Amino acid sequence: MIRNYFITAWRSLRKRRTTSLINLLGLTIGFACAVLIYLFVSHHLGFDDFHTDADRIYRLNTDEETDYIEYEGSVPPGMANEIRNEFTFSEAVARYADWQEDVLAVERDGATQKYRETLAFVEPEFLEIFNFPVRGGTPDALEAPNLAFITEEVAMRLFGRRDAIGETFVLGNTETIRVAGILDPLPEKSLFDREILVSFPTLKVYSEWVTSDSFRGITSMLQTFVRVRPGTDPAAVEAQLAALPGKYRPDSKNIHHYRLQPLLDIHLGGLYPGGIQERILWIVSLIGFLVLLLACINFINITTAQSLNRSREVGVRKVLGCGRHQLLRQFLSEVFLLSLFALVAGLLTAWLALPYFNDITGLSLGFESLVNPGSILFMLGILVLVTLLAGFYPGVVLGRIPPVLALKRKLTQRDSGGLRTRQVLVTLQFTISIGLIIATLVVGRQLRYAVESDLGYDTSVLMLPIPSDLEPRQLESLKARLSNHSAISQVSSCFASPGAPNNIWGTSVRYNSRPEVEEFAIDVKVADRDYLGTFGLDLVAGRNFFEKRDTVDEVLVNRTFARMVGAESPEAVLGKEIAVGGKYVRGRIVGVVEDFHDSDFTSRINPVFIAPEPGNYGEFAVKLQAGRLREGIAHLEKTWTGAFPDLLFEYEFVDERVAQQYATETQFLTLGKLFSLLAIGIGCLGIYGLVSFFVAQKTKEIGIRKVLGGSVTDILALFTREFIGLVVVAGAIAIPLTAFLMESWLQNYQYRTPLEWWVFALATAAVLLITLAIIVLKGSKAAWSNPVKSLRTE
Amino acid sequence: MLLKLENIYKWVNQGGNRTFLLKHLDLEIDEGEFVSVMGPSGSGKSTLLNVIGLLDGFDEGDYYFQGEAVHQMRDKERARLQKEHIGFIFQAYHLIDELTVYENIETPLLYQKVKSSERKALVGDILDRFNIVGKKDLFPSQLSGGQQQLVGVARALISRPKILLADEPTGNLNSRQSREIMELFKELNREGMTIVQATHSEFNASYGTRILHLLDGSWTDTPEL
Repeated sequence: MIRNYFITAWRSLRKRRTTSLINLLGLTIGFACAVLIYLFVSHHLGFDDFHTDADRIYRLNTDEETDYIEYEGSVPPGMANEIRNEFTFSEAVARYADWQEDVLAVERDGATQKYRETLAFVEPEFLEIFNFPVRGGTPDALEAPNLAFITEEVAMRLFGRRDAIGETFVLGNTETIRVAGILDPLPEKSLFDREILVSFPTLKVYSEWVTSDSFRGITSMLQTFVRVRPGTDPAAVEAQLAALPGKYRPDSKNIHHYRLQPLLDIHLGGLYPGGIQERILWIVSLIGFLVLLLACINFINITTAQSLNRSREVGVRKVLGCGRHQLLRQFLSEVFLLSLFALVAGLLTAWLALPYFNDITGLSLGFESLVNPGSILFMLGILVLVTLLAGFYPGVVLGRIPPVLALKRKLTQRDSGGLRTRQVLVTLQFTISIGLIIATLVVGRQLRYAVESDLGYDTSVLMLPIPSDLEPRQLESLKARLSNHSAISQVSSCFASPGAPNNIWGTSVRYNSRPEVEEFAIDVKVADRDYLGTFGLDLVAGRNFFEKRDTVDEVLVNRTFARMVGAESPEAVLGKEIAVGGKYVRGRIVGVVEDFHDSDFTSRINPVFIAPEPGNYGEFAVKLQAGRLREGIAHLEKTWTGAFPDLLFEYEFVDERVAQQYATETQFLTLGKLFSLLAIGIGCLGIYGLVSFFVAQKTKEIGIRKVLGGSVTDILALFTREFIGLVVVAGAIAIPLTAFLMESWLQNYQYRTPLEWWVFALATAAVLLITLAIIVLKGSKAAWSNPVKSLRTE
Repeated sequence: MLLKLENIYKWVNQGGNRTFLLKHLDLEIDEGEFVSVMGPSGSGKSTLLNVIGLLDGFDEGDYYFQGEAVHQMRDKERARLQKEHIGFIFQAYHLIDELTVYENIETPLLYQKVKSSERKALVGDILDRFNIVGKKDLFPSQLSGGQQQLVGVARALISRPKILLADEPTGNLNSRQSREIMELFKELNREGMTIVQATHSEFNASYGTRILHLLDGSWTDTPEL
């Protein structure tokens, strides 16, 4: 019986070749999207679940409460030892300090090889809490400074052999580190991707504060993890930790609340920094489902519209004793067969699209991710789902057809599943398409706004890192040499660029000898006096500062600072005293700069101060002459490599950093565009199929109208009327819905573009235009045809 | 007695008027009969055959098939009765285009869940009997009208029905092909098959053992030709 079903299915698919092809194409796209999105979503699920006792591992986070709450994935450096010494809930606690990239030098075959590697500083318990299998060496080795564990891959890269225990490398030109152990390759789905783990005490050389037992502040580079004893209630632990701020930071206006975040929740972030927002996974899944749904709707529309053509076969089968269920089963097997082809084609498409997809999403998925058990199960799942979704309704409709009418071909629209149903489905398709277009346009506009707006400072400035061990005098002379070229307009030494900084540093501030520190944190921009000129920052009151003297600092603040301390005008804060970060900077405000976007558009402009502090300059900011970039950069490189033959010459433009702040959104937008396009493509296929069907059905009517003197336009109007109405209804549904959704998305941004009416109009018009184009394309052939021919067929 | 219709009415309501398709109709058919139903277009021949064949319902009256009250049956039982006991032959043959001759004939057996080996034997027998073994792998479009109707008859007979209902079986055939089909009917009838055919043709009707005339949904003694 099954065999018979499939034979019939195969033959009838072949017979209705155009329809089958349209359905196949639509479903193929649908499946390809679904598979890719599945890969994307499943990649982001189950991070770090391979650690034994993963459910007992937590990251310690801080909610910092000032005038608002900031959620940090970090606690003060002193927390780890506090837990070790004072509490009993933990089995093990470990600090993990992320060091991002640095230069490693290895002596090999008598020459010095340099590598850029990312690394982290970890305490020995790190390897106890987490399951990163160790090949050689014991984790205890990480207790002493200047030792490291590296992965086999890094060992091969640096030393050319797997067993590199005992080999040494020089980190950042200063510290010689010996390899004390080898790690197995790191699992891909893990929070931790640093392949060089340096012993924590080594960090003391670079940042004493991070290795201290201080509770003064927190840094995002340091994360603290704890494995609690079985049966420990995290809420109880949080309650115990609640006493610490009172003990160690009794006077701070920045009130800390320490939280335990389960390891398994970290990747999906929530309030705290993580891998990806769970919301994005939901939205992407929804889009994938919608695209697949579109393909199914296409199928339903085209198939039910054509059921008139199949009615005779159905009638005959019923006369021969075929029951409704058998008919349904036969039809479902037809859909199943088609879906199976589509799945194979979709899989192939997904595989071919994988490199491109990886490019967009920043993943490195390979063929094996398509054929693992999870993926296969998912594919079988959607195969069944699509078969039922697309096949059930048409199957039931066909089964309902009365055999006598079917044999006489006296079926009406009602018998073939109803015009109304089809109209609803087409409207749904249009709605989805219009909605996706609107969403894509709004997101695109907001991102362009964020990146291309005037941020209040010059983003064409080039940033050059300053080596950490440079003496202030050396720094001055290097700066002078860098400036000494006609292609260089100005150079400033600074901690970070005004906006999109690599390092964010906020701290407490006390204004005008007030007894309490202010209830907000101030954004630190230490820099020399060339900062304003280099970045084109405008003074709205007072003057620039002179370089640091021994007695008193001169400090600049921004307009927001003046507003937040309650000054009536920027001038009012001039001459007032200011103390930043306790005793870090004490001085007098000599000038107020115009506000600039010191953070991305999701955050408000913060109060900012600018003051010189030569010990804390991390970057040169270089303003180049317009049109002489190449010349200028060549000069910088020559000067740089002359001064530091051992260091790599690397630079970055500030506008690149600005764009980098929106990397996730941009990625998301690219995906959104792609899937909107596909959705529209599928929609077009559906409209094409339906129009073809209407044309075939109305051939006789067209003939009669032509004989009666109807023009080609009259006849095209016949088709268009039906569809225009549906697009308008779809627009009416999609517009308020997406307006609401996009408005709430835009709420994430403190600075945002308004929702313009024309975006909605454009999306609706685009769908309308595409529909009309298809109708004209397909309908004009019928409209031009000779009526004698079409009437003769009756 | 094979079947009995008593006082059957069937109507449609059109624009406030009730049009009768069958009106006060009685009919008894014994096993082994060959009944020809004659009448002009629209007289109700096809409707009557559809009612007898359970393809169509009726609005009033009683219908007994082998003594069972069809008018009281539920859809499922009626479907079973139709599947097992009634064979249909159509003017337009109504073969399934996507299936070969063999598969077309086999289809009713599939719906009756006959086992594969038995199906093979039954279909083989009938192909043999109708001399169409050589055509078993052809598709309907590759056959002449006469051959298609032959397949249609074979398909109707394959499930060994109690009664064969033929609605204008030769309407699309030329006279030689018509005669062949009628000869076949006569032979089947001689072997004991009950046949009811609707026809326009006096000549075809004459093959029947009994001729009935229908006009506007009722029997008439004076056939209008």
